[in-house]
This record gives sequence, C-alpha cells and structure tokens, in this order.
Amino acid sequence: MNDRYTNPYVIGALLGLVLLFSFYTMGRGVGSSSSFTRIATAGVELVAPHHAKTNPYFSKYLQNERSPLMAWLVFLTLGAALGGLFSAFIARRIRGEVARGPSIGVTVRLWLALGGGILSGFAARLARGCTSGQALTGASELAFGSWIFMFCIFAGAYATAYFFRKEWL
Amino acid sequence: MGPLYKFGWFDFAYSLQMAGLIGFLFGFVLERAGFGDPKKLTAIFYLRDFAVLKVMFTAIVVCAVGLLYFSLFGWIDLGRVYLLPTYLWPQMIGGFILGIGFVMGGYCPTTSVVATVSGKLDGMIFIVGMMIGSVIFAEIFPLLKGFYGSGDMGAVRLTDILKVNSGIVALLICLMAVGAYWLVEKVEGKFGDKDSLPKSSPRLKGLGAATLIALGLVLAIANPDKGAAKAPSSAPASVQEPAHTGFKILEDEGC
Repeated sequence: MNDRYTNPYVIGALLGLVLLFSFYTMGRGVGSSSSFTRIATAGVELVAPHHAKTNPYFSKYLQNERSPLMAWLVFLTLGAALGGLFSAFIARRIRGEVARGPSIGVTVRLWLALGGGILSGFAARLARGCTSGQALTGASELAFGSWIFMFCIFAGAYATAYFFRKEWL
Repeated sequence: MGPLYKFGWFDFAYSLQMAGLIGFLFGFVLERAGFGDPKKLTAIFYLRDFAVLKVMFTAIVVCAVGLLYFSLFGWIDLGRVYLLPTYLWPQMIGGFILGIGFVMGGYCPTTSVVATVSGKLDGMIFIVGMMIGSVIFAEIFPLLKGFYGSGDMGAVRLTDILKVNSGIVALLICLMAVGAYWLVEKVEGKFGDKDSLPKSSPRLKGLGAATLIALGLVLAIANPDKGAAKAPSSAPASVQEPAHTGFKILEDEGC
C-alpha cells in the first residue's frame, strides 16, 4: 500500500506551489485549526449566546454580522476534507478503522487521540495557528516566530515520543 | 499584480470559493503523501520515516523562494501579504504542546481532517478533542491573556534577526533544507524499513539539490528586497499606499 503514496519531495514541491497560489491570489497562506475553534464558538453561541458574547476570546469570532462559520479558513478546511476524500477514494484508501500500532487497544488509542486533540486545539490557539497556519505559512514568509514555533513542535514531539512508543511501534 | 484579492480582483463571496479550491488541493496533496495515516506521520519521531520533514521543508523552501522570485519580477506586492506577527513565548510553548499533541494523538489539525474523511475514527475523535481544547482555551483566556501577548516582537522576519536581505536568507534555507534531507536520509536508512521508504535515483536527487541551491544563489545575488523597494507603484483599485519595503502586517484575520 505504501508504494501508492507519492514521493515526499514531489508532494512537498506541489504543496509549496499550492501555498504560493494561495499567497498570489489571496495574500495569505493556508490553515485549519481556527475553523474548529469557529465551529466550537458557533456551538457555544447556540447553547449560551450571552456567555459567548461576553467571553473575551469567543467574542473575537463574533464581531461580524455574519456567522462565525462564514470564514475563509472554514471553507478551506471543508475543501481539504473534499480533497482528502477524493484522493483517498481514487487510491482506494477509504476504510473504516482505528489507526494504531500493533500493541495498543482501540479504547486506549481513542482516549489518546482525544487527549492529543485537546492539547493540539489548546496549543494552536495559544500559538495563533497550527502546523499549516503558523509553521508552513509563516515559515514561507520567513516570519521569525513561525520558524521558532516549527522547531518547538519537533522539540515537543521528540521529547515525549518515548512515552507514546507503545501506541505506534 | 498579486495578491489579486488585495487589489480588488474578487469579493468576499468569491474568496470563500477560492478557499474551497485551495483547500481541495491542500487536502489532496496531504492524503497523497500518506498523511491520513498516523503511523506514517509519527514514524518521524521514531526516526523511521522522515516524510513529514521532507514535505514540510520542501513546501516551505519552494513557497519562500517562489514568493521572492514573484516579488523580484514585480508579480506580487509582499507589502500586502498578511505576515504572521511574532509572539515569542506563546509560540514556543504552543509549539511544544502541539508537538506533544501530535505524537500523542497522531495528527496535527489538518491531517486529522484528511484522516477522518478516509475513514479513521481516531481522526474524528482528535477533531472533537481540538474543539474541546479551543473551548478550554477560551474559557481560561482571562488567565492567559498576559502570557498570550508576551514576547511581542511584531512583524519580525528572519531578515531582521540575521540582519541580511531576503535573498541571503533564501539561500541559507535552501542550504539548510538540502543538508537536512541528506541527514534524515542517512538516519532513516539506518532505522527505517527499506521496503516502505521511497525509492529514487541519486542522480535525480543531486539534480534537485543543485537546482535548489542555484535558485537560492540567484536570489542572494539579485537581492529581492532592493527590487521590491524600487517597484513601480502601479496599484489599481486601492487608495491605500502600498508598502514596497517588503512584508508588513495588514488588517486581516490570523489563523
């Protein structure tokens, strides 16, 4: 199955061109993490509208007249879902499963996925972006903070990889 | 002259369609690279497969070099590109925590989307986790506000830190990328599974590396910053004075 993956250097060059196209047309790079914050904000607004408006962070996404979901990155993430679906479909890689290493159970893996998601969602807000919105985009612009951010991702992951080895190996 | 949106080529509604198209291409290449699979993604942290680093560095180098050539040719006004501001401490700590989340959850935010659409339940759970994480952040934001704004350095680029022009930085990152490729291929050759690693001819790789360094070298000699400073101010459909000195922060929404 692995030989169906395209060579990483070729993919990297293509990804760079997609990013360049985004800069040329829109004047900004890609990203995705804030679309999940926006969905969460829309949810909070639905359940507790007053609380959402008075919270200093949620209210950032509620300043416009339009819904917090009518945003550039939300549509970009929807597009990414469709693009990923199309690619997985033509490569016949769509299969319902819980991806994990051979020595870990489904339940533990799902809890770890949830924990990792919570940490990532929190960290992406703290750093004002994720691997794509901050690292890829910012590093291409040669933004100083984005380069530091990218190396800190690797530092964080390498520093703790040992504790999660049973999950993957 | 780009960025087209900033010169009024299309409106907000059209920009959302553009986002859909860019996202489609983004998701497509990520899945194509195998980044819908957390085992492939996390293999980098166990020194077995450095596809993540190869893809990221190549994308950054291609885009950074491309932007500077576009600027050199007068195709894009970098003063109108949204530059991410530097907040050193939250970015360092945020990056570190994101790295832990990556190896624990198996994904980064965008790759979890690609995993979810290819049928992985853990990818979907990761997305739920990200939403919970965002809500936790927003709820304790009053406590974090000071830290969130700490290390504010503004729109600072590597050029400001290293005190050289963008062309020299471009050459340096090209050299760094080629050096990193060489190093990680040695490492994965030692620890990785030879059958699943990509096969490619040394000659093609040498040619690619030489092209990258040559492109960087031309930029280092041509100095795109000088060209940007002299660019004619042919700015249609805008009253705003364009900044020709390179990037600057514009009113825009971050990520």
